Amino acid sequence: MMNKETNIRELLRRYMEGESTQAELRLLKEYFDSEQDLPEDLRAFAQMFAIIDEEMPTPSAEALDRFSSPLKENRRSFRLWPLLAAACIAAFAFIILMPPEEENMAIAYVDGKMLNNEVQAMQMGQEALQEIFSNGNQEQQLSELFNEP
Amino acid sequence: MKRLLIILLMSVGITLCATAQEGLRINEVFGGHVVSKQFIQESLVKGDNLAPYNLKVLHTAKCVANNKERTTIEQLFEEDMKERISDDNSNMEMESRDGHLYYAIVQLKNGARGTHRYICYQCRDRSSHYDITLVYMEGKASLADLRRTFKKK
Repeated sequence: MMNKETNIRELLRRYMEGESTQAELRLLKEYFDSEQDLPEDLRAFAQMFAIIDEEMPTPSAEALDRFSSPLKENRRSFRLWPLLAAACIAAFAFIILMPPEEENMAIAYVDGKMLNNEVQAMQMGQEALQEIFSNGNQEQQLSELFNEP
Repeated sequence: MKRLLIILLMSVGITLCATAQEGLRINEVFGGHVVSKQFIQESLVKGDNLAPYNLKVLHTAKCVANNKERTTIEQLFEEDMKERISDDNSNMEMESRDGHLYYAIVQLKNGARGTHRYICYQCRDRSSHYDITLVYMEGKASLADLRRTFKKK
């Protein structure tokens, strides 16, 4: 008897905590329906269980859908993260790897001064290349060498 | 996360390589750190002006150097030569005398976008000083194309 009461008190505690299963609820209801000699502190529960339907209402399919739909949305948005990350990486790679617009520039430095003179810069560049590719114009070098005093 | 980091690092690396002249030792000369800028005649041309030569970048410097400066420039150039594409004559020309470099045209390993890169050096002994010409070039032109275009007849 004592053991049964202890069990019922434990089930009641679980019920009040919202942890009860359907089977435990049924046990509680059966106990309070059948038990005549209830301890005084449990009598109020007997009245409470008397008005609770034994069968808990089963939620309709529509209600279940309504209940679960926000979860589905959450799950969907969570799956978007890898796609978003991939899109960001693709955008980053596109910006970095795309050949930049060719920059036009022609600057000459003469006597430590910068001249923004396209013609002069080109001329200096061409002269340097001609000199290099003609190996300093060997004929000129030879004539300089032999004409030296 | 690890993959993302690798992708990011690769992207940064490519960006840095895109500015191909960076990292060359001869930039010290172009920057006026070996010979004072006052004794350098420099030109930097990029873009449309070089389209007829199939080049994208042309950076030249002609400087008047003393013996010490000449040796430094030579050493810097020789350091950069280590990045040459090969020792083949089609990729390189070189002339040395008495342990000094007098003339060199060297094709370096290609830039990030597959462009050819060249460095050139010429030293002319003027008894009291040296006239040194340094060139950095970048573009699709081959060495043979450049020889045809710029060699004086």
